Amino acid sequence: MHVSAFKIFFQTGAWLVIAFLVLPILVVLPISFTDTSYIGLPKEGLSLQHYANYFTDPDWLNATWTSVWVGLVVATCASVLGTAFAIGCWFLSDRAAMVARWILITPILVPPVVQSLGFYRFWVKLGLIDTHVGVILAHTLLALPYVSISVFAALSNLDRNLPRAARSLGASVMQTVWAVVVPAARPGIATGFIFAFIVSFDEIVGVLFITVRNVQTLPKMIWEGIQDNIDPTIAAVATLLIVLTLIATAIGVLRRT
Amino acid sequence: MNEPILSIKNAVKRYGPVNALDGVNLDVAEGEFLTLLGPSGSGKTTLLSAIAGFIALDEGQLALRSADITGKPPEHRDFGMVFQGYALFPTMTVRENVGFPLKIRKRSASEIEKRVNEALEMVQMSAFADRMPSQLSGGQQQRIALARAMSFDPQILLLDEPLSALDKKLRADLQWELKDLHQKLGVTFIYVTHDQDEALSMSDRIVILKDGAIQQEGDPNTLYDQPRNRFVADFLGKSNFLEAAVVAGSGASFQCETKGAAFTLDTQTPCREGETITLALRPERLRLGLPGEEFVPGTVKQVSYLGERCQVLVTREGGDEFLVSRPTWKTDITPTPGLQVSIGWDADAPVVLAPA
Ligand SMILES: Nc1ncnc2c1ncn2[C@@H]1O[C@H](COP(=O)(O)OP(=O)(O)OP(=O)(O)O)[C@@H](O)[C@H]1O
Ligand SMILES: [Mg+2]
Repeated sequence: MHVSAFKIFFQTGAWLVIAFLVLPILVVLPISFTDTSYIGLPKEGLSLQHYANYFTDPDWLNATWTSVWVGLVVATCASVLGTAFAIGCWFLSDRAAMVARWILITPILVPPVVQSLGFYRFWVKLGLIDTHVGVILAHTLLALPYVSISVFAALSNLDRNLPRAARSLGASVMQTVWAVVVPAARPGIATGFIFAFIVSFDEIVGVLFITVRNVQTLPKMIWEGIQDNIDPTIAAVATLLIVLTLIATAIGVLRRT
Repeated sequence: MNEPILSIKNAVKRYGPVNALDGVNLDVAEGEFLTLLGPSGSGKTTLLSAIAGFIALDEGQLALRSADITGKPPEHRDFGMVFQGYALFPTMTVRENVGFPLKIRKRSASEIEKRVNEALEMVQMSAFADRMPSQLSGGQQQRIALARAMSFDPQILLLDEPLSALDKKLRADLQWELKDLHQKLGVTFIYVTHDQDEALSMSDRIVILKDGAIQQEGDPNTLYDQPRNRFVADFLGKSNFLEAAVVAGSGASFQCETKGAAFTLDTQTPCREGETITLALRPERLRLGLPGEEFVPGTVKQVSYLGERCQVLVTREGGDEFLVSRPTWKTDITPTPGLQVSIGWDADAPVVLAPA
């Protein structure tokens, strides 16, 4: 029948799209358990040797630790600055604030390569090449729009009379911000913090441009791993990251329902 | 008037070409219930915001008990304010909301506790102290907003259309409660509304605004009975307007004529012979009679029953329309569309309006 042919066509299409999205991710799973010493599917049996390698190799552990603490510092800086920016714009809510908002989200619009080139030229001048401060600064700039956008979203439905109410009740501007606006923005700040962390944690283009030896992050180590040795530990790291993401997502979903 | 608690001198506020406030002079007496009444865009919110200190005036001064407060920030004015959208702090419980002004003022925990309980008692919301604002109905939220604005004994309470988001029945209930509270507490209320019934039923004094300027001020009775101009007569209650020529007379009694119908006018407003004047006539002051019984002949155009009263729209030759409001129990005439009737009024019924 005509209708069912139509249906089959679209169902097949939908499954193909899902396979296209998920298979590349799933393929790392068997590779991570391979018993070979190069990237490939398991030959004789499954092995945990590459996981063991990850957890014992100081290079991998150091790179992971760097990504984590850089990510946390970036998320903190971006949350403070982005929240302050969003709350300021919310208070003004005039033309200038609109323009400022657009300017702030340009890091999302500009191609990463172009941006990284900019960082490179600039960081050379400032002497920030291959320093943790340089990476933190660059990542904070990249993560800022995510924080401010999610704080804007949290504030968008907030009654504009709230600050007036607080002031008429005796609160100064600062007290109003602390007691009334920041608590209302808190869900947005939390979301922004997580986003900022993720942005920093898996950022690679910028890191490749502005670091050499001194700073080693997890994405950079994975990248270099594929370049010059075909160590399956990469697959083990990737699998661990996927599992972590799944757990975090599951917790998020469960907490919401 | 004794020394006014608040005095506004020549307040001007411009937004581009718009004069939101156009030279407002107003004295507010201690303890009075003052209503700012006017149509949308007349500058009511602007005036209230200027009093609260949210906006800076372009010209003019504000004084609280003779002390200048023109440039004082809102947090130092000590005026409670109730907003149209309630503006309760969404992340605080009812108790924290009401206690907020006291906490800011660094009162002791025990005093805050005591004052909050009193304030909640006053608005009959004690049972809801630990709820979040989002768990309350509109009317309940408005009560909390009121309790919050009063918990710190403000000098003046400012209310910007506090009831306009509520349904009619609840609005009526809260009107009584507000009036009650005002009497009990003796605090000065400045109340903004565009609802004339609300203004008439609650206020000690009404200020009518239009285009940022005061049209007339006075107690509800005076405003209703002696509107100064056409705008006031039309805005506060309904009015019929009539052009009439002064034919003869002097002092307080004149002979007038309108399109062939002659009548006597008793008024304190000075009139000159030969002058054309505009009169306002309240619908309830008009009498309806059979043809020839009264002095203005006409035809019934429409009738609408409003329960205890019945409104009859009468046209006379030449196109003028008169709205007559009469008690439904009067059965001398049963007005139906097309019926020939006549209209009359007492000599002291018309109000002479100032030329526009
Ligand atoms: N922030 C502003 N920017 C520009 N124009 C404004 C601003 N606030 C008020 N106005 C203008 O000033 C005039 C008075 O406004 P206001 O809000 O005081 O009216 P209102 O009497 O409170 O009306 P409503 O009954 O609709 O609340 C209006 O013409 C309005 O358009
Ligand atoms: Mg208004």
